[in-house]
Amino acid sequence: MKKKTIAMLLAAVMSVSAVLTGCGQSSGGAGASGETAEQNAPAAQGDSNDTVLDIGERTKITALLKGTESTEQFQVFDHLLSNFCQENGLEYEIELVNDMQDYFTKLQMYINSNTLPDIYGCPNGTLSRACLDIDAMVDVGAELKRNGYYDKMNGAIIDFLTDADDGNLYLFPQGLYCEYFMYRTDLFEQAGVTDAPTTWAEFEEACQKIAATGEIPVIVGGSDAWQLMRYLSFSPWRVTGDDFITNYQAGTDSFSDNDSAKYAVELLNRLGTEGYFEPGFASVDFTSACNLFFGGTGAIFYTGSGQIGLAEEMYDEGKLGFFPVPDTEGMDNMSTNVPIHAGFAEGFNKATYDATMQAFFDYMCENFSEACYTKAQIFSPFNEDLPEGLPQLYYDTQPMFATAETAWTSWDDKLDSDVLTKIVDEQQKLAQGIVTPNDFISTCDSLISK
Amino acid sequence: MQKAFGKKSIILLFIFPAFLIYTLFVIVSIVWAGYYSFFDWSGVGEKIFIGLQNYIELLSRDDVFRSTIWHTVIYTIINVLIQVFGGLLFAILLSRVKKGRVALQTLYYVPVVISSVAICQIFSKLLSVTPTGVVNQLLSVFNPALKVMEWTSNPNISLYVTAFVEGYKYLGLYMVIFYAALIGVPDELGEAARIDGASLFQEYWHVRIPYIKPVIVANCLLVLNGSLRSFEFSYLLTHGGPGNASELMTTYMYKQAFTSMKYGYGSAVAIMIVIICLIVGVLFKKITGEEAEK
Repeated sequence: MKKKTIAMLLAAVMSVSAVLTGCGQSSGGAGASGETAEQNAPAAQGDSNDTVLDIGERTKITALLKGTESTEQFQVFDHLLSNFCQENGLEYEIELVNDMQDYFTKLQMYINSNTLPDIYGCPNGTLSRACLDIDAMVDVGAELKRNGYYDKMNGAIIDFLTDADDGNLYLFPQGLYCEYFMYRTDLFEQAGVTDAPTTWAEFEEACQKIAATGEIPVIVGGSDAWQLMRYLSFSPWRVTGDDFITNYQAGTDSFSDNDSAKYAVELLNRLGTEGYFEPGFASVDFTSACNLFFGGTGAIFYTGSGQIGLAEEMYDEGKLGFFPVPDTEGMDNMSTNVPIHAGFAEGFNKATYDATMQAFFDYMCENFSEACYTKAQIFSPFNEDLPEGLPQLYYDTQPMFATAETAWTSWDDKLDSDVLTKIVDEQQKLAQGIVTPNDFISTCDSLISK
Repeated sequence: MQKAFGKKSIILLFIFPAFLIYTLFVIVSIVWAGYYSFFDWSGVGEKIFIGLQNYIELLSRDDVFRSTIWHTVIYTIINVLIQVFGGLLFAILLSRVKKGRVALQTLYYVPVVISSVAICQIFSKLLSVTPTGVVNQLLSVFNPALKVMEWTSNPNISLYVTAFVEGYKYLGLYMVIFYAALIGVPDELGEAARIDGASLFQEYWHVRIPYIKPVIVANCLLVLNGSLRSFEFSYLLTHGGPGNASELMTTYMYKQAFTSMKYGYGSAVAIMIVIICLIVGVLFKKITGEEAEK
């Protein structure tokens, strides 16, 4: 009997330890992909501060953001939440998930269980629609009108985040990002290219001259889908705005029927197959591409305000210049030639949007620009004067978008995820010359007709 | 104590925790995947019941899925060759080494303990084209054209490169298992063969390797199982590309479920993977079991 008891005891210990191990692994696994930055702000209510808010029963503000502690979204929100919570005796917790797919999975989990945090990173598209379906999005546009910040926000940013179905603004921008081509002035000079290209024909001509000098004309992070997709999107965007991609997804337009789309397909194929991209571009990611270009390899690189920190030194020394997206020759191009977008954007959970969150929203609007410039080194989405002491590139590029009203059309947001995934696979084959432009066009058109 | 452990109730008691955990994390997951595979669902929002539509689409119209099955077969064959037969060869060589055996054994085992992510990062750098990686730099000494040789972005070889990297990582593991089995072969058998006039090759071919055949079969099964379910090397090194050139069934399942946001379809792919793994496993057991009986 005693032996039996011992054996049963051992089995029980094993069971408990196995279960506990399982729990530990589960928690560790979450920690591996998602970090949590939790801060306990000192209670400030007793500090006789006149502006202290009546926080009711709320003790904490929670946020789910994509990235790491060094990414812009975290830096801005950590700064804002830290100050706000300290002033109001609250705690805050920011959950971080770095990998994009992991982030989407986590966000889907929160949406499905209707347990979204107070603030969550969310792109405009399928996921924001899913959040709207469960009524978990505050009408940010209405809130901005209430506190008087709507008119201060850049028009193109509002355009970028406006919901395609009802025309409302449910997302707050991560920042203002503008994109442009940077080029090496010395390599342009060496190749005899005197002016920055203004059309794609000039762009290709410049590439040809640069290639003839033995230099790599264009650096591209071809393993990151968006880098090659930009070359596919430039021409349709300049010529049709968001019409082509919206109509393509709706099945009323196609690559074969749209001249600007056909032009873009042929352009990407030529750039890839004529050796204008760096060798092995399909296995180079955007970070490596940045390191290559700003490390001195290649003559042209499609980058933007997010990389000002990397470009600053070379630009100040006169080694770098920039130019906007070239025109598609022979077609009517819209005047906006700098892609402007809002980054990942944030939604506010309607279910938990109480007086405290509203106060935080106002505080955030008031201090957002300062956080953008001092903490994250990105442009603020509000049209305000740039503070002094920023790198020269900020002041030189700002006029390109200061009055822009048309946003960049992100195919990621407009296309159905399945179609997008298939186009991503096909565009790499197109750029590598594995498929011809005609094959690409017929494959992509069949994705919609299916 | 010995008596107590022999009782069925006690044995069941010890098996129960593992069975419970296995059921919770494996069986339940498979059942749920099977359930989701009957729906058209994006992962959020409403699930629409579509019956066997996902399976019909998968088996009749999805060319990419068919190519991923073929890729997985090639991938598995390469891995069996590298991990099992390469591991066996290394173990034989190791068993012949007198000096520095422990150092060599440790050296070969190092990749096993390095994480797959790190291994993929190392190989990405080694095989890089721009900037020129170590491999291309060395090859360019023999032929300058090889300086721009594309390894992971060439659709003709990216699958083989990915399989090689996984094979490289786990080769040391199977080498150690084979080495342990080889040193367990009684010396008398080898001595008897040598007295009968067998050469070194014949000694291994006719005596030592047949002696460790159960270990070879077990390792084959482990590699087969691992390769059919392999995910991280293809995903991290090539993202299944270029295009779908190195796409495996698992990476395709992941892309369908999480990138294309077709949870139902992704679940159908997952169920197909389970079925294929089961068929291959049963067939392998049957073939090797029949041979053992003979």
